[in-house]
Amino acid sequence: MTTEPTETTNENEEWEPRIVAYCCNWCSYAGADLAGTSRIQYPTNARILRVNCTGRLSPEFILAALDMGADGVLVSGCHPGDCHYTSGNLKARARWAMMETAIEQAGVDPRRVRLQWASASEAQLFADGVREITEQVKELGPIRSEWK
Amino acid sequence: MSDTKEEPRIGVFVCHCGHNIAGVVDVVSVAEMARDLPNVVFSTDEMFMCSDAGQVLIKEKVKEHNLNRVVVASCSPRMHEPTFRRVVEEVDVNRYLFDQVNLREHVSWCHTREPVKATEKAKDLVRMSVARAAKLENLPIKTVNVLPKTMVVGGGIAGLRSSLDIAERGFDVVLVEKDTQLGGNVAKWTHLFPSDESGAQVIGPLIAAVRKHKRIKIHLNSKVSDFDGYIGNFEVTIKNLSSEKETKVNIGTVIVSTGFEAFKPVGYYSYTKSPNIITLAELQEMPPAQMLIRPSDGKPVKKMVFIGCVGSREPGKIGHEHCSRHCCSATAKAAADLRDDVDESLVLYQDIRTYGKGHEEFHRLARQKHVIYSKFPTDAHPNVEVAADGDIRIRWFDVLAGSELEFHPDLVVLASAMIPPDDMAETAKMFSLTRSGDGFFNPEHIKLAPLTTHTAGVMIAGAAQAAKNASEAVIDASGAAAKAVGLMAQGEVEIESTVSHVISDLCSSCHTCVTACPYGAIIMDEEQTPPVAFVQEAKCKGCGTCAAACPSSAIVMYHSTDEQILTMVEAYLCTTPEPEGGGSA
Repeated sequence: MTTEPTETTNENEEWEPRIVAYCCNWCSYAGADLAGTSRIQYPTNARILRVNCTGRLSPEFILAALDMGADGVLVSGCHPGDCHYTSGNLKARARWAMMETAIEQAGVDPRRVRLQWASASEAQLFADGVREITEQVKELGPIRSEWK
Repeated sequence: MSDTKEEPRIGVFVCHCGHNIAGVVDVVSVAEMARDLPNVVFSTDEMFMCSDAGQVLIKEKVKEHNLNRVVVASCSPRMHEPTFRRVVEEVDVNRYLFDQVNLREHVSWCHTREPVKATEKAKDLVRMSVARAAKLENLPIKTVNVLPKTMVVGGGIAGLRSSLDIAERGFDVVLVEKDTQLGGNVAKWTHLFPSDESGAQVIGPLIAAVRKHKRIKIHLNSKVSDFDGYIGNFEVTIKNLSSEKETKVNIGTVIVSTGFEAFKPVGYYSYTKSPNIITLAELQEMPPAQMLIRPSDGKPVKKMVFIGCVGSREPGKIGHEHCSRHCCSATAKAAADLRDDVDESLVLYQDIRTYGKGHEEFHRLARQKHVIYSKFPTDAHPNVEVAADGDIRIRWFDVLAGSELEFHPDLVVLASAMIPPDDMAETAKMFSLTRSGDGFFNPEHIKLAPLTTHTAGVMIAGAAQAAKNASEAVIDASGAAAKAVGLMAQGEVEIESTVSHVISDLCSSCHTCVTACPYGAIIMDEEQTPPVAFVQEAKCKGCGTCAAACPSSAIVMYHSTDEQILTMVEAYLCTTPEPEGGGSA
């Protein structure tokens, strides 16, 4: 194969958002695996980072990604009550409200971040989540303009 | 070779997976791109990395280029991470210095029609992994000893079978039962399918064998009041419910076989409105001579009705959505056994599921004996009314006949659901177990590890895991016993090195991590002044919740450090564009 694309860089061509997707190993990462195995097609914009549990994610990880230029951040974990580590996802959820306030105060539209629950068997739910945040962030445009 | 202090020397291996990845992603260009990344000294693409040829290739290149980090870009690490970790260990690279990129499930299979964008994503993911690999640290492989003693919680049929299996293999057992006698629910049941024996006849010899086994210590009328420690080394306190006397024992493994409770269907089919409306469990617990005597007036029962799925299979009703699995067969057995002594016997059902070995046969036997089976609609259950004179009237729609029917029985028997015992939440908390929608305990994996749990060293068996019949509970029990014996026979077990660690100099003694940890793995080291947090590694499961919660950034989550995560984000977002891209710098 010798494909050398010219599709990304021209500023006026369709802009593609860059999305950081933190997924827990046990539910959502596995759900993303199942989406692949089931050949469910979804936008290419998200880059999945595997963490053991969404409880691992302090707000800094979301803020740092936005600061480094991510146009959107997706956090996807196990359903409440179904956490591999009993309650890590509940802690992630508790921190989420605070984090949303923080980014809003920094001038960033909180619609750029999304917290979702998708189990290892919910491939479609995972794929839909990626599609929704991608479309959402496309509407909002590049993040550069927003930071105060 | 894999000393973390050395300069990283990373090898990147990009897998075609036949056509699975290479059919969409330009793997050659991905491998070429990787060659120019910082710390990468070797990069290539290969047809199947997991094949023998692929594994040999990794080992050869590690030796040839003195690699101390390996990145394989192939399938999901949930599939082959153990494979590649083993491969790198064979050439003395620590397993934690391996990283895997998921180009198949997360790229080629879900972006099949977008090869250009998929290749771009693949390159980003490889760049991220290489950045992470450079930050990975050598972690020691640790083991802990396993004490050769098991605690079995619950002395029903599952607990008894587990205890005996373990004792017969030469290990000690502590059996804890909250009731004053052994045998659980099975001991109370009169008609135990599929044999012609009563529950007491089945379980009697098992109880006797457990009682006289010198390796089994029985605590009746007792509960576990404290549970601490980690796999192989649990410290347990057993409390006698009457005397309140506490006994402390050290054990290596645990089997939780706390069983079920028969649902009391208050609000269903006029239950409690008449003494002549009882559950199947209540019928089973009666002495056989009393079963066909009407509770209200002592007259003989001549017409009886069984109703199925009472409190089971109700979509949307939490804790009652599951099929209780034993009731169809138990109903058929009881109806067939009692048929000869009554004039009419009916079974009203939604569906019949007599799936077990020999079960369909006595379902057929019941029909041959002219037990009348009548199917009612899922959305229109029978209506049971009790008149002022005590007469019971049942009206329902028979799906197969297509007509309304009415019957006035002497006795109504409700085949009610199996639900968790009322102290289930307490037990779950004690052993850090999670519960599924049916209220029973979650196994570690529903298909691949149904008897182990996410608490290492704690097994589940029998109806504690899900509604099931006695035969199935016994299968579980022997399986869980084998799991416990496996751990104890080895004498030691490897524990994960991906645990958290407190940098004591940074700890401000705020206790936030102590409360954040779902496993109670973090304690305060009182020998230090001021006391600082300390992680008991064997209890830590590596979720990293403490690291996220620590306000002093004093907790390092090994193999998932802040730096290891953020370097990936940076590698994705902060690269300078390739020169030929021509965009803004």
